Amino acid sequence: MARARVEQQPAAATGMTLVVMVGLGVAFLLFMAFLNVVKSGNLLNESNLLYATLIFYFGAATLYLGFGITGTPNYVRFASLATWAGLLANTGAVAHRWYEAGHPPFASIYEMLLSFVWTLAALTLIAEKKFKVKVIGTVTMPVAIVGVVLMQLLRTDVRPLVPALQSTWLHVHVTLAMLAYAACALSFALAMMFLIQDKMKTETFLAATSIFTIATYIATLTRFEKWGGLSVAAWNPEEKSEIFIAKGVRLFVVIPDLGWLLLLVLAAVSVPLVFYILWRKTNNEAHLDLANRAVFLSILLQTLALVFFIVRVRDGHYFSLDADGQFPTSLAASPFILSGLVGGIFVSLLYLLLLWRRTDLERMLPSADELDRIIYKTIAIAFPLLTLMIAAGAYWANRTWGSYWSWDPKETWAAITWLVYAGYLHMRITRGWRGRRAAYFAILGFAVVMFTFFGVTYLLPGLHAYA
Amino acid sequence: MAIPLPRKIWQTLGAIKTGVILLILTVILAAAGTLILQRPATDPDEIQRAYSPQVLRLLDGLGLTDVFHAWWFVLLLSLVSLSIVAASIQRFPNAWRFYARPYKSPDEAFRKALPTHKLIAIKDEETALSAAERVLAKKGFHPERIVRENSFSLFGERNRISEMAVYIVHASLLLIFLGGIIDAEFGWRAFLSLTRGEQSSEVQAQNGPKHFLPFAVRCDGAGQENYADGTPKKWWSNLTVLKGGREVLHKQIVVNEPLVYGGVRFYQASYGKTGKVDKLVLTATSRQSMNPKDITLGLNETAALDPDTTVRLAEFIPDYVVGDGQVYARSNDLENPAARLVVESKKSGQAINYWLPAIPGIEQNALSPYDFQGKDVQMAYFTGLEVSHEPGQWGVWAGVLLMGLGLVVVFYLVHSRIWVVPVRDARGQLQLWIGGAANKNKDVFEQRFSDVVKQIEWELKPSQPEISQTSVAALTEK
Repeated sequence: MARARVEQQPAAATGMTLVVMVGLGVAFLLFMAFLNVVKSGNLLNESNLLYATLIFYFGAATLYLGFGITGTPNYVRFASLATWAGLLANTGAVAHRWYEAGHPPFASIYEMLLSFVWTLAALTLIAEKKFKVKVIGTVTMPVAIVGVVLMQLLRTDVRPLVPALQSTWLHVHVTLAMLAYAACALSFALAMMFLIQDKMKTETFLAATSIFTIATYIATLTRFEKWGGLSVAAWNPEEKSEIFIAKGVRLFVVIPDLGWLLLLVLAAVSVPLVFYILWRKTNNEAHLDLANRAVFLSILLQTLALVFFIVRVRDGHYFSLDADGQFPTSLAASPFILSGLVGGIFVSLLYLLLLWRRTDLERMLPSADELDRIIYKTIAIAFPLLTLMIAAGAYWANRTWGSYWSWDPKETWAAITWLVYAGYLHMRITRGWRGRRAAYFAILGFAVVMFTFFGVTYLLPGLHAYA
Repeated sequence: MAIPLPRKIWQTLGAIKTGVILLILTVILAAAGTLILQRPATDPDEIQRAYSPQVLRLLDGLGLTDVFHAWWFVLLLSLVSLSIVAASIQRFPNAWRFYARPYKSPDEAFRKALPTHKLIAIKDEETALSAAERVLAKKGFHPERIVRENSFSLFGERNRISEMAVYIVHASLLLIFLGGIIDAEFGWRAFLSLTRGEQSSEVQAQNGPKHFLPFAVRCDGAGQENYADGTPKKWWSNLTVLKGGREVLHKQIVVNEPLVYGGVRFYQASYGKTGKVDKLVLTATSRQSMNPKDITLGLNETAALDPDTTVRLAEFIPDYVVGDGQVYARSNDLENPAARLVVESKKSGQAINYWLPAIPGIEQNALSPYDFQGKDVQMAYFTGLEVSHEPGQWGVWAGVLLMGLGLVVVFYLVHSRIWVVPVRDARGQLQLWIGGAANKNKDVFEQRFSDVVKQIEWELKPSQPEISQTSVAALTEK
């Protein structure tokens, strides 16, 4: 670390430009917001606080990214300052929500995101100050931004709690879940850093990121409709909810031509993988070079797809195959497609960061052994939390429905998550699994966590319908 | 010779590989159980819509539409438990030896092999050992002196319980499983619906038989509170437990607050309209005297209007429609109510059907000596109670607490040991050998170990306070 600072010293002076630019940007946006506040005369409401949170997190993410690319230590200082400011505003928003609703903000997916973003920012600061993992913000802050942006799309009105949710045990359960999932997210990020420090080949990351983006686009294109359309769920703007034609059956509308565009982008994101395979076969370095160029191109096309998706979804009404007439849709109706498109761009950008700045990154990150130990420690925190989370949930269910375990999908997947991490611990303790295999396990564990958190809620039916 | 089969099975069960394979199978099947629609929870029609008949027959045949109650899933969980038991029993003796008889005086081979150790030059054994003893006591290692025939040394340790932690966690898991099995075998869930004033001692189980309780439960009242927007905020029921006709317990239950009596729990599950009338208030006016009189009737209750005439509430339909000369109920909501009153005369024995409102074709209202007008109606509400008997749940909760405790020990208590032995090096120089070992978090332990060594070195330095005192004395003399 010290070496890095010495070498980067000459760059420090020019490094201030980004800080100044971000500072001016934040100030400008805050000023614009302030004009709005003056007009409406309402300063401390939730949406203003969230807006401030978003601006500060945005500044922080930019500076963290700047640090990730240039390694200027100054950036981190200001990035943590911005994160602190954002966390403060975020705390205000949480507190406001809590006060307005009269219960801790865990009752809807909106409120859970609010709490999740808060936890993520807090953990970023802890990881930075305590474990000296400075680049972690490069990954976590963009995720926090996506969280805040998603929140803008979801219904925000305080809805009264149905009787089953009025329980202290529920709050205990959800708080533990948030803490456990955040710890799992941290172990995932650390596992990725471990793979970098463990000298995993940059080309392997290329293959992995390509497969991830290809899978994302294939999953999105399952919604491909005849004549090149893309079907998305319809949205009722007054109700701020999806339109249902029967119990549990959503109404879908078809956005024309968007399917063709996504198909084109799928082809574009497949190109790097094709060149990668060619490179493996022929060992011709030129193919690898082409693959990297193709990644760059695919990012441009992915961005184009995202822009078109947002524009088309936001404007106008579309025909449906299931009902007569035209219906509007909204970004909030397609959270998966949106996160998939954003996630694809994000992952590709991270790959480019690795490709261009690998030596700098390796210098800035703790050593592989150190990371391996920290991964184990975060899982040593996450696992008891997961256990207590499941126990608190079971206790709450027992008080509410008279049954502590009913094999509903969310419960089952929480148990599966628990088993995966239990597997990790057994392999590590009894088989002495260290390093790469342990890191793969941490990645798998987080993938299961994500499925439990999002996938089960949206894809599988069950009791946890409201969360 | 080959190993006998039972022993082989026992060893296979205890192998970590078996455990991992069983866990992976459990994960896959449990995941399948969340992806395939499950029988008891899903509407049969919905399942039929989702799968084609052949596929459905196959899924049903394999038990995949009710994974969590299929015999093979239960078998799998039993195998997992058995594997945990076998693994624990096979490994326990070793661990127990380690726990019960700690290795206190290290021999030369051990001293050589131990990675974490340090040598300090000393003048005499006694001073060095007592210095080390002081430091170890201060650091919480509870040192003891180990006396052998021709040597003595020090041994100190912390958190020996950490060696047993894994067994605590595994035992807690088995306790949870045991509770679950007891509940699956002897527990039941049932539903009971009561209206105000009603009591019952039998409940209808979800999958078949009726359960007869050794006591009765009476509902003294139930209700619902709403938020301003009309969504329900709270459901409550006042329940009384009666044993041998005597009231033994009163409790108001709400959604997260059950009534517990005799191992049976009553949960507030739902609240709704029965479609039946609780109280109907009528104004009866005699056609002769034109004298109005208010009467209150429950269903099938009779009231006397004058010495000769009585009226009975024979039927109450909250939302009626007429078709083919019959009156039908359309819903249980109080939308369009109709009541059939039977007006009887003792003298003539004549009974007249009086419909309120008058329904053409079937009413005989004109024959009645009284006219009736509805004044007020109170509908009967039922409170839906989920009843459950889970004798094994205490095992589950005890297991959960034990597991929490066990996990804290597993992850956060480190068994660390330090040995201090006076030795002579090759040249016969007296040295203090200090060695340490920890069962996890080795990096943190190394830090602590070097702290201990530094402290001992500091204690062994020619004592500084004396030196400074003499120098001060020397200064003042001058």
